[in-house]
Amino acid sequence: MMVDKQARYLQTHEWVKKGPGKLMTIGLTAYAIEQLGDIVYMELPQAGKTLNRGDIFGVVESVKTASDMYSPVGGKVVEVNIAVPDNPDMLKTQAYGDAWLIRVEPSSPAEFNLLMDADAYEKFLQTEAH
Amino acid sequence: MKRTPFYHKHLEYGGKLVDFAGWEMPVQYPAGIIQEHLTTRKTAGLFDVSHMGRFFIRGAKAAVFLDYALTNSAGGLEMGNSHYTILAQPDGGAVDDAWLYRFDDKGFVLVVNASNKEKDWKHLQSLAKSFTDVVLEDLSETRAMLALQGPKSEDILNTLLTGGTLPAPKRNAAGVAFFAGRQVRIGRTGYTGEPVCFEMMMEVADAEYLWDMLIKNGAAPVGLGARDTLRLEASLPLYGHEMGLDGEGKTIPILACPAARFAVTETKKTDFVGKAAIQRQLTALERYKKGDFSDCSDLPKRIVSLRILDKGVVRQGAKVFYQGQCVGDVTSGTMIPCWKPDESMRPTDQTDQRAIAMAYVDCRLTAGAEVEVDVRGRMLKAKSVRKNLRSAGRYAVAVFE
Repeated sequence: MMVDKQARYLQTHEWVKKGPGKLMTIGLTAYAIEQLGDIVYMELPQAGKTLNRGDIFGVVESVKTASDMYSPVGGKVVEVNIAVPDNPDMLKTQAYGDAWLIRVEPSSPAEFNLLMDADAYEKFLQTEAH
Repeated sequence: MKRTPFYHKHLEYGGKLVDFAGWEMPVQYPAGIIQEHLTTRKTAGLFDVSHMGRFFIRGAKAAVFLDYALTNSAGGLEMGNSHYTILAQPDGGAVDDAWLYRFDDKGFVLVVNASNKEKDWKHLQSLAKSFTDVVLEDLSETRAMLALQGPKSEDILNTLLTGGTLPAPKRNAAGVAFFAGRQVRIGRTGYTGEPVCFEMMMEVADAEYLWDMLIKNGAAPVGLGARDTLRLEASLPLYGHEMGLDGEGKTIPILACPAARFAVTETKKTDFVGKAAIQRQLTALERYKKGDFSDCSDLPKRIVSLRILDKGVVRQGAKVFYQGQCVGDVTSGTMIPCWKPDESMRPTDQTDQRAIAMAYVDCRLTAGAEVEVDVRGRMLKAKSVRKNLRSAGRYAVAVFE
């Protein structure tokens, strides 16, 4: 699955979904993971860290490059999925599921509506590929 | 973009094509960089290296000309052999590094980096003006070239051998042989650190057929991504990183690279481009060996291999610190996979990964020194090591101590 209909997206290939509860869950898109190739190292924030919309929340490193990851919404990091840096291979199959990266308590939930929806992101990917 | 004779094979095998020095080349195949690296170390990797520049140098004065243009002793290179060599600048820096082959009595073949080919060609053309009886010919786009690297590569080639013999017994041996009925110029060479390694040049018309035969007999295609991790694990320099200009745009002296020592014949009597500067670098190395660092002007920094001890990856440009002082910067670095070796230094089925780098640092830094590398403000502990890889029989094995 290249996109998840429930998620909203950044052009830098991060996704965010509503839930669980009032939290929002953030991850890296399947397209980004495919483009990066083998992921060898990840840096994720500590729980408790406050992020503004667009802040760098971590780094993902493939053999070839290191890429910053940007937060699609602002808020406080309440959960970090440390299983992913331990086993980055899970990103290849579960980008929108178990391989989520962080959960935040959004400071202004309306920021979600400012982001690209799945259709817009898919269109963006088509332009990016050419 | 230019395409090699293997372009359709790259598409057929699902290669992810990128622009490399104006060539449309596979950075990886579906297996991915890590798997391709591991396959090369355990069985055999097949690399399209047709993008590299290949110059044919012949004529009565070919050896005399090459002795002047290159650091190593071309005149001393016997037929059926090859060696590492460097196109030097008068100031002792490198125009490029290269491999010189003498497959037969027809002349010499010089293989240069794809990214430097035009520059090298002009450089050699201009030096050749002062010589008569030297003919330079650019074969880069009229021949195909493959590298077959890894413990199983010799078995694969023996299966396909239909005439002549494999170049033997030592590394760098070179000759002409027939595989599946096709004539190939072949050298026991490569740039992966594999003790069993071959590079071969063939007619364009035979290229795809030979590719298919090598794959059919057990070789796996490997892209430029793994080519880079393999050479980095083996501490082999790459022009633009460990050779050429440093991070500040200054010339890196040739002998700053430990590997370059093999490209310089100390006893070479004839004059060659860069001789005076290189001799000063050799003298500096002799002084350093005795622990005398009173004059570091000819070789202020050297290339060292690093193993990163903390979690993380260091990359080109990261600053290296020793006891709080910045001593240089990283020239190449990434995370590199390996097979865990057993007690007899054979690869097991278990894999591991290590962050490895090369760095251009103060000449006084010795092997074993603990340093720190600044990665986005985080100081990662690292150790200067003699090597990250060593040969054990037909395997190249990761060094951990």
